Amino acid sequence: MKITKQDLKNISLLSKIKIDEERSASLIEDLESILTMVNKMDELDTSKVNPLTHPIENTQTLREDIEKKDIEREKLQELSKEKDSGFYLTPKVIE
Amino acid sequence: MSLNNWQPVIGLEVHVQLATRTKLFSSSPIAFGAEPNTQASEIDLGLPGVLPVLNKEAINHALKFGCAINAQISEKVIFARKNYFYPDLPKGYQISQLDDPIVGRGSVEIKLDEKSKIIGVTRAHLEEDAGKSIHDLYTNNSAIDLNRAGTCLLEIVSEPDLSSAEEAVEYLKKIHSIVTFLGISDGDMSQGSMRCDANVSVKKPDDQELGTRTELKNINSFKFVEKAIIFEIDRQIKELEKGRKIVQETRLYDSKKNLTRSMRSKEEANDYRYFPEPDLIPIKISEDQINDVRKNLPELPDIMKARLMKSYDLSDENAELVTANKETASFFEDVLSYEVSPKNAVNWITGDLFALLNKNDTNISESKVSPKHIAEIIQNIEDQKISGPSAKKLLEIVWSEGGEIQELIQNEGLEQISNDDEIEKILDEVISENQKQFEQLKSGKDRLQGFFVGQVMKKTSGSASPQVVNKLLKEKLSK
Amino acid sequence: MSELINLSLTDQIHGLADKSFSSREIADAYLDEIKKKKSLNCYISVFEEESKENALLADENIAQNKVRPLEGIPIAHKDIFCIKDKKTTCGSKMLSSFISPYSSEVFTKLDNAGAITIGKTNMDEFAMGSSNETSFYGNVLNPINEKLSPGGSSGGSAAAVRANLCSFATATDTGGSIRQPASFCGVTGIKPTYGRVSRWGMIAFASSLDQAGIIAKNAKDAAVALKYMSGFDQKDSTSLNEEVKDFQKEVDADQEHVIGIPKELIENMKNDQVRDSFKNAISILEKDGAKIEEINLPHIEYSLPAYYVIAPAECSANLARYDGIRFGHRSESVSSLEDLYVNSRTEGFGREVKNRIFIGTFCLSTGYYDAFYNKALKIRNLIKRDFDEAFKKVTSIAMPTCSNSSFELGSISDPVEMYEQDIYTIPANLAGLPALSIPSGKVNEMPIGLQLIGNYLDEGKILNLANKFQKLTDFHEFK
Repeated sequence: MKITKQDLKNISLLSKIKIDEERSASLIEDLESILTMVNKMDELDTSKVNPLTHPIENTQTLREDIEKKDIEREKLQELSKEKDSGFYLTPKVIE
Repeated sequence: MSLNNWQPVIGLEVHVQLATRTKLFSSSPIAFGAEPNTQASEIDLGLPGVLPVLNKEAINHALKFGCAINAQISEKVIFARKNYFYPDLPKGYQISQLDDPIVGRGSVEIKLDEKSKIIGVTRAHLEEDAGKSIHDLYTNNSAIDLNRAGTCLLEIVSEPDLSSAEEAVEYLKKIHSIVTFLGISDGDMSQGSMRCDANVSVKKPDDQELGTRTELKNINSFKFVEKAIIFEIDRQIKELEKGRKIVQETRLYDSKKNLTRSMRSKEEANDYRYFPEPDLIPIKISEDQINDVRKNLPELPDIMKARLMKSYDLSDENAELVTANKETASFFEDVLSYEVSPKNAVNWITGDLFALLNKNDTNISESKVSPKHIAEIIQNIEDQKISGPSAKKLLEIVWSEGGEIQELIQNEGLEQISNDDEIEKILDEVISENQKQFEQLKSGKDRLQGFFVGQVMKKTSGSASPQVVNKLLKEKLSK
Repeated sequence: MSELINLSLTDQIHGLADKSFSSREIADAYLDEIKKKKSLNCYISVFEEESKENALLADENIAQNKVRPLEGIPIAHKDIFCIKDKKTTCGSKMLSSFISPYSSEVFTKLDNAGAITIGKTNMDEFAMGSSNETSFYGNVLNPINEKLSPGGSSGGSAAAVRANLCSFATATDTGGSIRQPASFCGVTGIKPTYGRVSRWGMIAFASSLDQAGIIAKNAKDAAVALKYMSGFDQKDSTSLNEEVKDFQKEVDADQEHVIGIPKELIENMKNDQVRDSFKNAISILEKDGAKIEEINLPHIEYSLPAYYVIAPAECSANLARYDGIRFGHRSESVSSLEDLYVNSRTEGFGREVKNRIFIGTFCLSTGYYDAFYNKALKIRNLIKRDFDEAFKKVTSIAMPTCSNSSFELGSISDPVEMYEQDIYTIPANLAGLPALSIPSGKVNEMPIGLQLIGNYLDEGKILNLANKFQKLTDFHEFK
């Protein structure tokens, strides 16, 4: 499995994580060796198998539509470094 | 706009905010207009370790819609994560549906110029709403309010069956009336409870394939939907006729300038990497559950309209007007419960009452005039106790000051004079004051008739019965 | 009082009940030991004063005969479990100053059972790692040989139990993160059935695989601890609404066992010593009356590749919420929204976490979903079916926990070689089955674990078998 520089750029863009130029060669090597290991899956013909997303058959318990009014905004916003008047702040987004 | 033999092809994606008390995956309240981030719990903020639990009512609401448009209902409802970064999307993914949407293929009927047309609904799925980014509050920052984050949305996707802006508006109105009749949304477009995106393309009649489409975002009123689509069709035709190509892109409708413009920034790297939401297990919908919803479905606008036309002998147009939304329909039926003429009820509601609502920039659910008020006004007219102009005056008074109709009629002296003698006395006065005109009327200048009726009304402050005045005037002329 | 910390959980419970010693005495003894063995780096946080106070409160309760099941027992939580008003780092710079505003269900349950949280244990960053070397807080040392790795990701919990720094510790297991460090440190670790323990407040790595469990001195202790940690939780949609059996009773019950041995897997093992040790352990159980059956798990060799698609894919979405806006590390050098995202995430995450996010992002991206993610889910189904088939004729399945005993810190740099650490533990996660590891011998003078996999919800069965083994052997004793 080959990973191109363009793949790397795309992955970086989608995941919002920078990939340093000097690290990209070793990263490509790592990713390729992982994907080569992953490619072992191709040995199996799975055309007649359904994908399994959850290990256990279970009935979903649904929630009643009842409000819980215990939101402590100030406490929750202590976790944020940039906030004002109850808003979270980000650098200005120009649309 | 000249279509020049181009055929527009339009599909709508309507986001309906469901009228639940809590969010789709958390118990946070969803009241409109709360202080920023006071309705954003640890779940809505996407804190580490939190998990979603699905709101039962959201499923019920979606099932109601599915049954109302005779759609296939999925046996198994699966949620998926749609991954993208935006500050008002706290988890970095939106919990939505891709495969197995709760509501599958269905349809609605629209009417335009007396002709009806079936519009296919491809699917409707449940998803959580994003929060709000406010860009004009701070000089250097955007402000994020996550109160709306996680609110229940039903995204209703139509087939590209619409072929004009007018049809698109009719379709949107139909969706609006269905969801309000079902009581699953307040349908208030001004508060964002219903939002609409439109996919627009044009093609020549012989073309087998559809033209390249653009997606119009942010068209959040019936009026703007129409204007935006008209603009976009026109723009695409002009481009194509200049020999240019249409770029598949998202375009934003600017209502101030009435144009659409490209939003290239939103286009970059839109690879949503959908995959099944591992924090939720597939939800099974049983046949019994669907039958139960179907059995308890409220009367839907189309059925109600047919009933009204049949039972009250209303015209198609009038029946359409009073069933446009749930509130108007209930108001109408409440007025009828006082046993007044259905036609008068329609006329008063869609005429004078709607005018008042418009003037005061509000809707019928906020009306200060109650169904009882309207019914009593109509009864007084039907009994010839008050005149039309007095009735209008009454309506205004009730709106601004409230009160009981009978009392107001007496206090304001609006009782109609239908006593022939009394009116004849006044008519005689008017004739003697306007001898010249009376002679002209006699000699055939018919349009002066209204002048005399008007003068009598003026002298009686509108309380004379116009029918009686006309009758007496005719008698005098024939003498 | 250092002998107090050597006692098993059950002995501590008895000793507290008959007032042979106090909770305060046990807490002090552990706190002293923690100070002495600080260099092992087992803990990220230690709550010294609070633990002492809570121990006094526990002693008061005991004096008044208000004794809860784990009253006054000092325990440690892996730093992946949120505790209200406590720092919860998940071993990452990203959360190095995250003070959780709410508590995980695991913490709440054990807290309600009377346990005293003495501290929070070190771990691989976001539970991604098999050697504890990816922790932002530096690696943990193996208490048996400080040059060696304690295993990961719950290396802090395993080492803390082994070094007598707590009575037992909570841990989590996504692909072997409880069992592999238990094997490396010579302690007992159990990952129950997926859904047995609530994931609420447990910071997610891969939601469909993550499961909380226990690391303890022996199977009996693990059974007691697990009993008070398990149970349905409305806040976790994947939580199982099933009765929790009394593991404490089951562990000592007289039960028949049919042990399945995946013959091919054992024959293919590269390390003869590990295979011999495994065979020896099985023969001990066989002599004791357990029936041994050869079984076939034909798809088990595809577990590792399937896992390294599913886990990174889920992690790539789960870790998207760390954007620097509402919580977590926020870069200082930010001039645009993109900077805020990219710099905060690039600075906040370590190399291994980034690698997994990259892999997951790639596997889910357009054009690769079917070849990777969907394929992996299909293989997951095949593996589950293999187990379902096997459990038709056996009551548990035995295999080694790891392909070798602990390795030297810093000795493995190839990622795939590191991933292969989990080759025997991953299948139980993919299938959602309960699995445990108990010390069963030594290889290169370091402990090696025997893994027992049970059928769904049958934790009691493997705990019973493990206890049986521990009655016959002394591998689990700390010497």
